[in-house]
Amino acid sequence: MILLLTLTLLLPLLGGIINACFGNHLPKPMPVIVANGAVIGSFLACLGCLSSASGDGLRVTLFTWLSSGSFQADVGLLLDPLAAIMALMVTGVASLIHLYAAGYMQDDSDQTRFFALLNLFVFAMLTIVLADNLLLMFLGWEGVGFCSYGLIGFWYRNTENAAAGRKAFIVTRIGDLFFTVGLLWLFALFGTIGIEAINGQVAGLDPTTITIISLLLLGGACGKSAQLPLMTWLPDAMAGPTPVSALIHAATMVTAGVYLLCRMFPLVSLSPIAMGVIALVGVLTALYAATCALAQREIKRVLAYSTMSQVGYMFLAVGVGSVSAAMFHLLTHAFFKSLLFMAAGCVINLAGHENDIYLMGGMRQRSKLVAGLFMVGLLCLAGAPLTGGFFSKDLILATAFAKGDLFHQAIYVIGIVTAGITSLYSFRLGYLVFAGDFRGEELPDDLPGLMKWPLLPLALFGLFGGLLNLPHLFGGYSWLSGWLNTDTDVLHLSLNSEYLLSGTAVGVFVFGWLIAHLRYRKFVRRESGLISAFLLAGWQFDAFYDRLLIRPFRGLCRFCWQGVEVGLVDGLIEGFARTCISWGQALRKMTNGQISNYLQGFIWGLLLIMGWFLLRAVA
Amino acid sequence: MIVPMEHLLILSTILFLLGLVCVLAHRNLIMILIGVEIMLNAVGLTLVGASAFWQQIDGQIMVLFLMAMTSAEVSISLAMVVYLQRCKNSVDIRDFDEMRG
Amino acid sequence: MTADTFTQFPVLSLLLWLPLVGTLLCLVGYKSPQAGRWLALGTTTVVFALSLLLAFSLERSAGWMLFEDYSWIEPFGIRYTLGMDGISLLLIVLTAFLQLVAVLISWDQEKSPGLFFALILILETGIIGVFLALDLVLFYLFWELMLIPMFFLIGVWGYKRRVYAAVKFFLFTLGGSLCLLLAVISLFLLHGEQTGTYTFALEALKQTDLSFGQEMLFYLCFMAAFAIKVPLFPFHSWLPDAHTEAPVAGSVDLAGLLMKTGVYGMIRFAFPLFPSAAEKSLPILAVLALIGLFYAAWIAYLQTDIKRIVAYSSISHLGFVILGLAAWNQTAWEGSLLLMINHGVTTGALFVIIAMIQRRTGTREISQLGGLWKSQPNMSAFFLLFCMASLGLPGLANFAGEILILIGTFKSHAVWAAIAVAGVLFSAMYMLRMVQETIWGPCCEPFDKQDLISREWLILIPLAVLVVWLGCYPQPILDPLREPISLLLRQGGQP
Repeated sequence: MILLLTLTLLLPLLGGIINACFGNHLPKPMPVIVANGAVIGSFLACLGCLSSASGDGLRVTLFTWLSSGSFQADVGLLLDPLAAIMALMVTGVASLIHLYAAGYMQDDSDQTRFFALLNLFVFAMLTIVLADNLLLMFLGWEGVGFCSYGLIGFWYRNTENAAAGRKAFIVTRIGDLFFTVGLLWLFALFGTIGIEAINGQVAGLDPTTITIISLLLLGGACGKSAQLPLMTWLPDAMAGPTPVSALIHAATMVTAGVYLLCRMFPLVSLSPIAMGVIALVGVLTALYAATCALAQREIKRVLAYSTMSQVGYMFLAVGVGSVSAAMFHLLTHAFFKSLLFMAAGCVINLAGHENDIYLMGGMRQRSKLVAGLFMVGLLCLAGAPLTGGFFSKDLILATAFAKGDLFHQAIYVIGIVTAGITSLYSFRLGYLVFAGDFRGEELPDDLPGLMKWPLLPLALFGLFGGLLNLPHLFGGYSWLSGWLNTDTDVLHLSLNSEYLLSGTAVGVFVFGWLIAHLRYRKFVRRESGLISAFLLAGWQFDAFYDRLLIRPFRGLCRFCWQGVEVGLVDGLIEGFARTCISWGQALRKMTNGQISNYLQGFIWGLLLIMGWFLLRAVA
Repeated sequence: MIVPMEHLLILSTILFLLGLVCVLAHRNLIMILIGVEIMLNAVGLTLVGASAFWQQIDGQIMVLFLMAMTSAEVSISLAMVVYLQRCKNSVDIRDFDEMRG
Repeated sequence: MTADTFTQFPVLSLLLWLPLVGTLLCLVGYKSPQAGRWLALGTTTVVFALSLLLAFSLERSAGWMLFEDYSWIEPFGIRYTLGMDGISLLLIVLTAFLQLVAVLISWDQEKSPGLFFALILILETGIIGVFLALDLVLFYLFWELMLIPMFFLIGVWGYKRRVYAAVKFFLFTLGGSLCLLLAVISLFLLHGEQTGTYTFALEALKQTDLSFGQEMLFYLCFMAAFAIKVPLFPFHSWLPDAHTEAPVAGSVDLAGLLMKTGVYGMIRFAFPLFPSAAEKSLPILAVLALIGLFYAAWIAYLQTDIKRIVAYSSISHLGFVILGLAAWNQTAWEGSLLLMINHGVTTGALFVIIAMIQRRTGTREISQLGGLWKSQPNMSAFFLLFCMASLGLPGLANFAGEILILIGTFKSHAVWAAIAVAGVLFSAMYMLRMVQETIWGPCCEPFDKQDLISREWLILIPLAVLVVWLGCYPQPILDPLREPISLLLRQGGQP
């Protein structure tokens, strides 16, 4: 078991290292085979050790990474129910996406770099999931950031792609600062950074401290998960290849923030203020991103905003105190969103590498299969009744509603409104892409088989993901909640109100669909108004941050460089040097090269000294 | 001692000053060298006188060293004067002021 | 060979004077370029092998692992005292390694290679001497010995503004050194007056009875020399110029080693000699370190010369190191020393790569660079790796040191640590900007399309392995540091 757990983590690392070091010397399909083999092997190993995850979990300590004084950080793995379900999802989805990528990237000359980074990403993500201490988790945390940076800017010849990668790295790093401070604080308080050890000792802590630390962790989570106010990097990150968007920016990395909060839930849940803030951040992001998604024109940007919005729901779930709801939505979302991204990749290929949905249309005639799969994803996203997305979203909203107080009621209302908007933009996307006739010009490409069939299992998981945690209302027995051992999550709602909530959810879904149907069934080229331009630009947050932060920062840098460094520090030093030089210039006039002059000076000096002695003798 | 010490000192002072004036006033390198020699001889005279006055051999040894050194110095400096004469076709020190600041 | 053999044989002197022997041989054969480079390579390899042998065979202990003491200039109480503990050992291994790298990267030096390599070897003796000397006069001698070869390396073999840079470097460091000399002599006299024994031995001088004013004055004089060498804000202005204009071997040595001698001087001499003054100065030291950390990072963000970016990044990282020292506890100090070693490796590697880039493109201006991944993927990959290490990616070299510093600092001064954390963000900003403008983006068409040649592989692979190893498993570095650091902290008096 221990070997299997270690293999789960190390196989992707090994694959990444092989591809990074020797990939270019291997014959052509080998790098792809190595990468796929590593991830699939990791998935199988993870399946193998699943059974030992229940209850107390499985622990391995590989070696001591850093140890100094009382500080000790091991490379230690912990496979508890939460980590197991997450690791299984990560390796499973990653396997399918690797297969898809093998088809997607088959003509790219730089395959080995792509697969090396993708494998390293899986390794880093698994490190986050399996780490038994916060520092190791931070290693994975930054590792996924680096891989995401490298993969967003994969097509580096275009400056914009590389710039998007850099933006992603830096914005998430702002969040990481908070995480680091939180980590330092936790170590200073408890003398350990082991996750279980910390969670076991939090009970006696000062509430203010807990609130601040929780908010610091939330800051870290916001950066990685693209939540308000650190969300601007995610839409730009769509510059990367589609498998990257599917794996990193939909299924796994962006949910790392949610996972962090779930991991530290015993700590976070002790502070009502922090919980409230988490819920608020989540629901506001969900609303914000959903409105932005309404106006986007690029297919992947719509999906990016929808990801942001759905991750907002997961934050909301944590904020209202339900780890199982958060994990439930995380899982179903991982399935249907990676499905959507990969299907979008197929659609883009079929439309002749066209991103703009206004230039698509009629895509269902190109490939029935892709259209079907995409629609399955959209239905899950929109929350169509009985799909996985419906149950998970419903559980979150119901949990919020069940809290009962005014704050949570308001959050519930925002959440349900957002659900309606989600349904609206989902069907807008569906109608614009698939309905009507093709509006572009280029001839479609053919799709390799590898780009189609990995989508099928995801579609199945997306559709039937609800079975994972089917509520009692529908005859289920909440398997996931039981597995995660989170009895506190159980809803205390009467059957009537549960029916009512489900009915409302179905109602907003249908309402959104109807509006989309009326408005987008037939494509009409509309002049974009002020509001849609505002939404298209993501509420102008980029411009706002540019004014608020980037320009003042550059000004500060320029002041330090030109003002202080060149002006003050070097100015003082060079001024001093110049004074010395000008003195020297004045003095050098005395040496004119005439020996008699020098001797004359010598004589005068001699006379002076002798005169001095004479005077002394006389006196 | 036949000659009183004071006379000797006065003589050597006069000799030294003559040499000094010679060095300061002349522009001709050879004359300057002669001035230097006169000053050295003035010093030598003082040393011999002092040696006789205190009945110590050191002064005379010193003078012997001085004479040997002077001859070496003259041979080198005259060679240099010849060299300079060849370079600039002049022995006027005003032509040799490359070492000014 | 066992540890006993080493105590019989003056192995420290061997280590110290071997490079100088190499220098003499280089000078004898300075007309032949082949002789110079092979002699230099041979000497540095032997020194490196010897230092590794010591590192692997010596017992870890708190005191001196090796010690040599001979009488030298007895009338003035000057002795030839050398001592090596874990700290010196690691720094000497680093020195020997980086000098080997410096020789290899300057292999095709065309301008009088014999003299060039002779100077590099003198420099090695100077640096090793600084890390070994325990007699203040001996220390001062080596301290100045480092200065001279570096001056010529920059002034003769440097780039366009080399003379300006060399003179600036020389005057700054000489100014600091003179303060040091003054303080050393006054301390010597004071100690002699008090005890009757006139000596320059470090251990004896620690016992000198000083009033607080005297102590502070001496401490400031010592710190002037060390702070300039480090360099601590606001004494840093020589460094960007010296780095930018120096030939690659000079930059590697400056960043990898010379800056470390300043920190070493602080922990070996300034703090233990004047503990109560040191204690009083810690907040100021921390503030200067924090200012330097941010200030240098902000300036680096706007530089257009990639070598200058790395130079400013060095100032920023050394700010971290000094912050760790100012935190004054075991973890932070271990972190500081670890970061020093890590920084030596990563920054040295970055300068090496920049030299390779310059050889291929003929420029260091970011506006003229770009898209190097296309023509030189392997070189760019190494560049990316070292940049990531430099910006503190966990699992690579610098992070291990930085996190220990932060943990140690947070324990004693939470606010300092919380502020310093933000420095990591800015280091990401300037590093990523450099990466972006150099290896990503549209192509700049280098005139030499050659990717790495075998000699360059030989340099870069060990550096890359070290960068990963130091990040993933720094324990072998931390172990020998533990005991000496706790000893030094006890001597300094834990506040």
